[in-house]
Amino acid sequence: MKKHVLTASLLMSVMTSFGAGFQLNLQGLRQLAMGGSGTAWPWDASTIFYNPGGLARLKGVQVYGSMMFIMPSTAYGNRDNSGVTSSNEQSVRQTFTPFNLYFGGRVHEDSRLALGLGIYTPFGSGLKWDDNWLGKYIVQSIDLKCVFFQPTVAYRATEWLSVGGGFVFGAGTIDFRQAMPVHGMLGADVDDGQAHLHGSATGVGFNLGAQIKMRENLQFGLTYRSQVNMDVSAGAATFNVPTSLRDSFPNTKFDSRLPLPQVASFGVGWRLGDVTLQADLNYTGWNSYDTLRFDFKQTTSSLSNVRAPRHYRNTLTTRVGACYKLSNVVSLMAGGAYDPTPVTNGFVSPDLPDADRIVLTCGISIKPARGLTIMAAFEGVNSVKRNGTYDHAGFNGIYKTSAATPGIGLYYNF
Amino acid sequence: MKKVYIVGGLALLFAACKPSVNVTTPAKAGDVVFTNYMAVGCSYSSGYGDKSLTVSGQLNSFPQRLFEQFETINTNGAKGPFIQPLVTGDNGYPEAKLVLGKVTYCDGQIAMVPVSTTLPLDSNGSWRYLSPVNNGQINNISVPRIRVADYPVVGYGGLNKYAQRFYYDPSKRPLDELYSRVFNLHPTFFTLWLGVTDVLGYAASGGQGDGTGAAVPVTLNIYNSSDITPTTVFTAYYDSIVTALTSTSASGALLNIPDITALPYFTTVPANGLNITRKGFADTLQAMYSTIMFDKVFQEGANYYIIKDHDGQTRQAVPGELILMTIPRDSLKCAGWGSTTPIPKEYVLTTDELQNIRNTVSKFNYVIQQECQLRKLAYVDMFSFMKTLSSGIAYNGINYSTEFVSGGAFSLDGVHLNARGNALVANYIINTINNYYHSTIPQTDVNKYPGIKFP
Repeated sequence: MKKHVLTASLLMSVMTSFGAGFQLNLQGLRQLAMGGSGTAWPWDASTIFYNPGGLARLKGVQVYGSMMFIMPSTAYGNRDNSGVTSSNEQSVRQTFTPFNLYFGGRVHEDSRLALGLGIYTPFGSGLKWDDNWLGKYIVQSIDLKCVFFQPTVAYRATEWLSVGGGFVFGAGTIDFRQAMPVHGMLGADVDDGQAHLHGSATGVGFNLGAQIKMRENLQFGLTYRSQVNMDVSAGAATFNVPTSLRDSFPNTKFDSRLPLPQVASFGVGWRLGDVTLQADLNYTGWNSYDTLRFDFKQTTSSLSNVRAPRHYRNTLTTRVGACYKLSNVVSLMAGGAYDPTPVTNGFVSPDLPDADRIVLTCGISIKPARGLTIMAAFEGVNSVKRNGTYDHAGFNGIYKTSAATPGIGLYYNF
Repeated sequence: MKKVYIVGGLALLFAACKPSVNVTTPAKAGDVVFTNYMAVGCSYSSGYGDKSLTVSGQLNSFPQRLFEQFETINTNGAKGPFIQPLVTGDNGYPEAKLVLGKVTYCDGQIAMVPVSTTLPLDSNGSWRYLSPVNNGQINNISVPRIRVADYPVVGYGGLNKYAQRFYYDPSKRPLDELYSRVFNLHPTFFTLWLGVTDVLGYAASGGQGDGTGAAVPVTLNIYNSSDITPTTVFTAYYDSIVTALTSTSASGALLNIPDITALPYFTTVPANGLNITRKGFADTLQAMYSTIMFDKVFQEGANYYIIKDHDGQTRQAVPGELILMTIPRDSLKCAGWGSTTPIPKEYVLTTDELQNIRNTVSKFNYVIQQECQLRKLAYVDMFSFMKTLSSGIAYNGINYSTEFVSGGAFSLDGVHLNARGNALVANYIINTINNYYHSTIPQTDVNKYPGIKFP
């Protein structure tokens, strides 16, 4: 009769969204400073990410490194069934430090062929709430980190056309904590159990680009970054539960797949004297991400595999930016972007309270010595206040997310 | 100049670091004055759970939750203290409360089921309660097990230890006690949840007694506690109770009677739990009951149990009939109950008995609804609430249901709600009040309160 005591799954909404809002568009500082645009204009070696075709346009061989400090914060306002809003909560402050390293250039001065390697962080953020907050049974903390390694080849086919491509190998970690509604007889009344999932993931993909130089002052770019399925195998699932429930929630392994979406981009860049204007459109294929699955190696009547429907929609992001060359030493940059959310209503979960985002950016680059450029950029992201529902878990509220991201970096031309 | 702009721009960007959603709706009382809140009811309002009364159960009662939410209102909000007649300990009064424990059945199977706690009882000091404030003020005068039918019973305090504990004069009628309490507190708002026990006693005893509503008093005006209160008696005294509660012109909410047949107490043991693994045994049973069951065939797999019905006739249970959770498992497992021996009728609710229960609930609820219309009180439809709960209520990451233990809303007796179930009820009442009285009372965070504890 043990079964009759615990039949239904107590663990209801394990990791239901995971990922989308943690996508970073921080792969180059100049591009960051210009609203994240950079498909058309090969500014520096970070074009390995933004448009591999642009690598064949770089002069000399370049080493590039940058680091960002993302400080995201989410506010939540509870709205109950009768429409009364009663409590406000704030996520715990954290700083994440994604980085980029690029190395590459033409194989020799007159060659049409260029080679490069990019190491960058397409996902590297998280969200942490107070352990006892209102949504603790959905998420207490989530953290997703991923580094891509991209060896790249580019070729200048004609005076106006360069193409390039890179193979992508991704490696990352995921970490997720959720309270479980089981209490021990000893200890405080509301000492919850906890589920903790931790695993590492790997995946492969590619990044293709074509860079078109219509005229010296008018350039276009087209890129396609493939979907990368980050496969988690044998991650550790740990359950902190009272002794009598140990058999129902055994510590076990889990497999999962986090599909990072494909992105197609079109960009244009236009130079007017000392000012360069550029704009990008990114079409992101989130709808490949329709179900999230978690398969536990050992399941019980209380612990079953998770299949969470997502129903993300594809999004079109618009990015614009400008660079003003103040002198031969100093350039100033500014830009902005509008980034609509892939998360449809009914699926707005507090592990990813995503909403349409408005991005404002600025930056500066300085050439203190021959060959050396130092850059600094700042991005402010504000989400539109969203009245979201997460129907499957009965969790509603109003969310607003902001992130401040300063970054610094440098590159050296050989 | 340019630099100033840049610095200004950066400051604006940095302002992005701390988002806020300043959207809190101020709590408003609407058409009600909540200053003096009084709760009247039975076990369901008293904080009774796990088959006993404990101080933590009382402190997690839905009236306590309601008071806390009413208290957040600035103008016309509830004023403390909110006095409940607290017992002194947490192990149960007067009998031991249920806790989850391991038992080994006759067949060697080990299971985790409710067992009586072995911790020392705390009856000392709990037998009599004296309020520390205002001439004996008590806000929650709910008495576990009390029925509407008990309100005219002289000397009721002598029959119910829970009433005796705090009644001004246990030798008087509960209705007199109610008037005294109303006079003492001058309630401006009340909740009334009575009538569940008037039908639950019949259901929980497997349908003993008449059940059709034609019961007659056992002695004087006292009705058998395992029978159904006649509707005329219910109607008369429910009206008297509401008259007493509205005698100070208080606003209030009347809670109706839920579908008690959906309680885990009745739904946990399946009526078709007779699992036959050998063909030979099926044939044996077939032969044994050939005279009464020519049209029924025992087969390997799940079979409906053999029961004694309301009239003491042996027959096989039919779909929809219910077996009570209190049935001794060892008898089911090893003594042939439900197969070679019929399950005694006190553990079974037959189709007729269920019909009696459902008819009564709908008659009583009609009376309650009429009272609401007549006296302009909020009607809290607990019948609908229970229906929603049995199909599952997704709330902040948890799926609450009427499932025993894993449903998260009921205490270990399978009849009464636990702290979280009480909080869900409080929120449901708040919704009704907000709609009816145009108030904006915030809901309570159900998940903040203790759930079932595991060893």
